[in-house]
Amino acid sequence: MNRYFFYLILTNMLINVIIFVPKILIEYRYEGAVMGMLIAIPIGFTLACLYSKAITKFPGQGLPEIADKFFKHRWLTILHFGSIQLAVFSAGLITLVGFIDVLTRFINPEMPRLLLLSIYLIAIIFIIQLPTERVMYILEIVLFMNTPLIGFIVFKAFTSDYISWDSILEVGTHLFDRPSLKAIAAASYVFSGYANLVIFNRVIKEKLKVWNFVIIFFMGIFNLFTTFFIPIGFHGSDGAQEYLYPWISTSDSLRLVYSPIERVIFIFLLFYMSITLMSISIHWHSAFELFKGTFRKKENKKMKWIVLSAYSGCAVIAVMFLETILLNQITVYWMIARLGVEVVIVISFSLWARRQLA
Amino acid sequence: MPTTKVESIKKSIMNKIQKAEDVVFKENFTKEKYLETYYIKSISDEQVLGKYVLKPFFEIQGAELFLDYLQSHPKISTFKTEAQTVESLLRGEAVLFYQDYIFLFDCKVDRNNAVQDTTVETTIQGPQSGFSESLPTNLGLIRHRYPEATLKVESSQVGAISKTKVMLLYDTRFADMDTLGRIKEFLANVKINMFQTGEQLLDSIKKSNRSLFPVMLVTERPDRVAINLSTGKIILLIHGSPFAVVLPTSMKDFMASMADIYQTYWVGRFLQTLRYIGLFVSIVLPGLYVATTSYNPEIYRVQLALSIAGSRNLVPYPSFVEVLLMLFMMEMLTEASIRLPKAIGPTATTVGGLILGQAATEAGLVSNIMIIIVSTVAISNFVVPINAFSFSVRIVKYIVLGLATVFGLVGVGIGFLLFIAYMVKLDSFGQPFLTLIQTKPNKK
Amino acid sequence: MKSAVNWSVAAIIVIGSLLLTGCGFKDIDKRLFVVSIGVDLAKNSSKKYDVHLKLAVPSGSKQQPNEFTIVSEQADSMSDAVRIIKTKVDKEIDFSHAKMILIGEELAKQKGNAGIYYWLARRRDIQLIAWVVVAKPTALDVLKVKPKSEQIPSNSLFLAMGKDGSETPYILPDFLFDFKMRLIERGLDPMLPIVEAKKELFEIKTTSLFNKNHMKLTLNPEETKALNFLLNKEQKSAIWARKGKTRFFIDTQKIRSKYKIYTPKGKPPYIKFDIKIKGIVEETSRKIPNTRLAKYEKEVEKETNKFVKNVLVKIQKSGIDPIGFGLRYRSRHFNENDWEEWQKIYPKIVFKVDTKVKITDTGLIE
Repeated sequence: MNRYFFYLILTNMLINVIIFVPKILIEYRYEGAVMGMLIAIPIGFTLACLYSKAITKFPGQGLPEIADKFFKHRWLTILHFGSIQLAVFSAGLITLVGFIDVLTRFINPEMPRLLLLSIYLIAIIFIIQLPTERVMYILEIVLFMNTPLIGFIVFKAFTSDYISWDSILEVGTHLFDRPSLKAIAAASYVFSGYANLVIFNRVIKEKLKVWNFVIIFFMGIFNLFTTFFIPIGFHGSDGAQEYLYPWISTSDSLRLVYSPIERVIFIFLLFYMSITLMSISIHWHSAFELFKGTFRKKENKKMKWIVLSAYSGCAVIAVMFLETILLNQITVYWMIARLGVEVVIVISFSLWARRQLA
Repeated sequence: MPTTKVESIKKSIMNKIQKAEDVVFKENFTKEKYLETYYIKSISDEQVLGKYVLKPFFEIQGAELFLDYLQSHPKISTFKTEAQTVESLLRGEAVLFYQDYIFLFDCKVDRNNAVQDTTVETTIQGPQSGFSESLPTNLGLIRHRYPEATLKVESSQVGAISKTKVMLLYDTRFADMDTLGRIKEFLANVKINMFQTGEQLLDSIKKSNRSLFPVMLVTERPDRVAINLSTGKIILLIHGSPFAVVLPTSMKDFMASMADIYQTYWVGRFLQTLRYIGLFVSIVLPGLYVATTSYNPEIYRVQLALSIAGSRNLVPYPSFVEVLLMLFMMEMLTEASIRLPKAIGPTATTVGGLILGQAATEAGLVSNIMIIIVSTVAISNFVVPINAFSFSVRIVKYIVLGLATVFGLVGVGIGFLLFIAYMVKLDSFGQPFLTLIQTKPNKK
Repeated sequence: MKSAVNWSVAAIIVIGSLLLTGCGFKDIDKRLFVVSIGVDLAKNSSKKYDVHLKLAVPSGSKQQPNEFTIVSEQADSMSDAVRIIKTKVDKEIDFSHAKMILIGEELAKQKGNAGIYYWLARRRDIQLIAWVVVAKPTALDVLKVKPKSEQIPSNSLFLAMGKDGSETPYILPDFLFDFKMRLIERGLDPMLPIVEAKKELFEIKTTSLFNKNHMKLTLNPEETKALNFLLNKEQKSAIWARKGKTRFFIDTQKIRSKYKIYTPKGKPPYIKFDIKIKGIVEETSRKIPNTRLAKYEKEVEKETNKFVKNVLVKIQKSGIDPIGFGLRYRSRHFNENDWEEWQKIYPKIVFKVDTKVKITDTGLIE
C-alpha cells in the first residue's frame, strides 16, 4: 500500500513544470536560486516527513474521520479544514489555469480558452466525485502509462548533444548568493504532494517505512535539479529566463529522429494532459472531501452540486481574468503563502498527533 | 396418510394441469398391488420409467416389498407440497400414487446434452469443446475439470415464467463472501419473465440499465470456468444455455484469452500486449486522425503531412465526415457478415472491403490514408477476445471521435482518460472493473 | 423523469459544443505548409527585408514528386511580410513544418537584425528544432535549387543538416534554439553553416561565425573541419599529412578533444587543447611500412597542432568565441565579475595544442 504515498508525491514532482516552478527558479538563477533550492530540500522534506508520519498514525482514516473522533472545537475544525481546503483548491486552480494557457498556446491556438476549460471541467468533476480509492486507481494507471515515457524524454534531454554543461555549471557557481525566499518557496513545492494525504490517507492502511522517505528524498533532489538545470543547459544561463514556459520550450528543442512523432513537444504535452488532469483531480478531490467532511451531518445532493458549480465558477473566472504574466506573479506569492500555511499546519498537527497518541 | 387425502390431492393436481395429448395418466394392477402414474410424456423418459418403476412393479411380489423399493430408490422422492409437485411434473418428473403414498420419480429427458465445439472463443491449442445446453452435463464438465471437495453448488430459480434453474458454483476457500452475498441478493431481485441465457443478466445488473461495458463475463469454455473458480470467481450456470457467467469480472478477464496459458510465457505475454495495443488503437485512431489532420498537422513528419494533404486534396468533406462515412460502412459490413450464412460471408467481406474501399478512394470520397485507418480499426477491434467487450469498445471510439472533432488533440487525450476513469468507476459486485494491480479478493 | 432531464442537459452540451466547432478546425488540405523560410535584404526598394516562404504543394498521386512555390514579399518586418503573403495564397499558411531557416549572407553581415531571430523563436508554430543556415549568395537562390534526388521540397537540405543522409565533417548544423541561446549567452557565440547554391546542387562546406549581432568571419572548409574536431561533433573525418615526399591520407574513426583554461599567476594565461585521433591510412602516394607507422603518426600530430592552432588564433583575432571558452571560464569561477575578467584575458590568451594520433593499420593492404 505504500506505493500510494509515493504516487502522491510523484504527481506533484511531475506537475511542477506546469505550475511555474522552473520559471520562478530560473528567474532567480543569479539571485540565490541554487542556495534556495539547497535550503528548500531539507525544509520540504522535513515537512513531508513530519506530516506523513503524523497522519499515518491513523491508518486508513482521512482528516474528516479523524476530526470526527478527536476534534472537540467545531470552529477550530472549520478553520483547520478551511485553510487546507483553500490551499489544495488553489493549487489545483493554478495548475488548471496554467495548463489551459499552455494548451491554447501550443496545441489549439485558435480555440477559446473556455471551451478547452469545459472539457477539463467535465473530466475533473467526473473524477472528483468517485470514492477516494477509485481516484487513486486512476492515478496509478495514468502514472503507469506516462511516467516511463517522461523519464525517457528526460533521459534524452540529459544525453542530448546540445545541452551545454558549461552553462549549467555557470549557474552552479552562483551557489553562494543570498538565497531568495521566492526560490525557497517554489522549490519546496516539489515535496508538497504529501498535503493530499489529508484525504488520501484513507487508502494507506499501513505504516510508512524508512525507505519510502529515502526514495522520496533522492527523487526530490533529482527532480528539482532536472527541473532547474535542463532548461538552462538548453537555453543558456543568460537566455533561459526569456522563455515563458522553460520546460515546454525545452521539450520543443529535443528531436527524436526515429520516433513516429519527431517533435518531442507534442509527446510531452500529450503525457502532461493526463498527468495535469489527475493532479488537479486529486487536489480538488481532497478539497471536495474536506468540504463534505466539514458539514458531515447534513450532506445532500443539492449541496454537492452547489460546491461543484462553485469550483467550476472559480475556474471559469480565473481562466477569464488571469493572463499568463499575472498568473505567474500570483503564483510567486501563492508559493510563499503556501509554504507559510504548510509550516503552521504541519507543526501544529504533528504536535497534536503526538500528544493525542502518546 | 388417509386415502381420501391422496385422492383429493390427485384431483387437484390433475385439475391444475391442462389436458393435453402428452399428459398421461395410467393405472397398473397386479394381484396385490395398484399403482397410478401421472406424467407428461414429451418431457419424461418412458423407458426409464418402465425400467425402474413398471418392471419392478411386476417383478416384486409383496406389496410391502415394493413400497420399500420405492422408498429406497435414489431417483424417487416423497411428496412435499402440492405446488412443488405440479412444478416437478412440469419439469418432467412422474408422479406415482401408490397405496397412501405419493412419490415423485425423476425421469426427465435430458435433451441437448451433447457437448458442443467452441465457436465464439476459439483457440488454436488447448481444449476445443465448450458447454452443452444441459445443466447436469455442464455441472459434470466443471466437476470433471475441478475435482475439489471445496467446490460448492447452490441452486435457485430465476424467471417468473420460465422458472429457469440456475446453479451458483464457487470454491469456498477462495470466494469472497461479501461478493457472494451481493450476487445472491442480485439474483433474488432480478425481474425477468423469460430467463433463457446468462447474457440477459448483463442489462439488469445496473440499476440504471445503461452500463456501457459488460460487467460480467459470459463464456462457453469449461476450462475458463475452471480457472476462474480457482481464482475465487463465482460461476453461474443456467439451464438450457451453453454459456456460463463468471462473476465478478474485471477488464483484465475480458482481455484474456484461454490461449494465453496454453502458450509459452513470452508468447502469451506478447499476445496479451498485442491485444492491449489493439484495444488502444481501435479506440483512439479515428479520433487521432481527425485531431491531427484538422488541428495539429505538425505532429506528422513533413513527408507524411504532405502525402496526407495530397490524398485529401480531392475529398470534399471535412475529416470527421470522412471518418464517420467510412466507419459507418465498416460497421455495416461487420453486421452484415454476422447475419449472412457462412457460405456467403467471405464474399460480402471481399466485395465490401476491397472493392468498396478501392472505389471510394477512386471516386475521391475518402482519402487513401482513411482506408488504412478504418481497416486498422476494424481489425484491431476484433483482437479483443471476448465479444461482449469488443462490441462496447466499438461504441467508445465514436465518443473519442466526437471529442476529437470538437477539441482536437486535447479531446483525444481527455477522451481516452475519461474512458479509463469510467472503467475504474464501474464495479462488478463490489470489485472495481479496472485497476492496474488486481488485488486478489482473498489475499488476507 | 430525472433521466429525461439528464438527457436534455447532455444534448444541450453536445449541440453547444458542435456549434463551437470551427474554432481552429482546419483540414490538412486547407493548409499550405511552409517548408523553408528565407530572408534577404531587400534590393532596389524602400523596404528593409525580402521575405521568401517556400511552400510545398502536395501532389495527389504517387508518381509525380511534390512541387513547391516560393512566395516573396518585401517589408520592414517579418510579421508584416507574412501578413501580406497570406493575402497572396488561397489556403492558410502553416509554419509548423518550417524546418529550415535561411538567412541571406548580406543580411547576416548587417547589424541590428535581432528582431528577425527573435520573431522566429517567439512564434509558437515555428519549431525550435528548425535548422538555421546562412545562404549564399541569397536565400532566394538557395530556395530555388531543386536537386534531382529530391522528392519533397527542401528535403535534401533537411537530410544534410539532420545527418540522416550524408555524414561529413564539413557541416556544423545548428538548431534555432541553440542559435538563439548563443546570441545571448555571454562567452559563447553563434556559428551557422553556409549553404551555397550551385545550379542543381547545394554546397555546404564553409561556416560563418557570428558575434552577438552579425556575421564576422567565414571559415573555409579545412578550418570548418578543424572546428569540428574541437567541438567533438562528427567522428568520421579525414586528415592530409606529409612526410618527406610521401603524402598520405588518414580516415579517422575517433576524434576526442578537450581543453582547459589555465590562468597561472604572473604568467600569461593559456588554453591547452588535448586532441586524440584514431584512424587508418586510406590513401598514400608511396608505400608506408607498418613497422614505421609511429614516425608517420608524429608527422600527423605536428601538422594537426599547427593547423588547429592557426584556426584558433584566427577566431581569437576577430574577437569571437564559438567554442565557448568564455562560458567555460565563467563556469569555473565563482566571482561575480568573471565575465569582465574574461573579456580582458581573451585577446591575449595563448593556445597550446597537443595532438595524439594513433594509426591502427593501413587498411586491407600494407
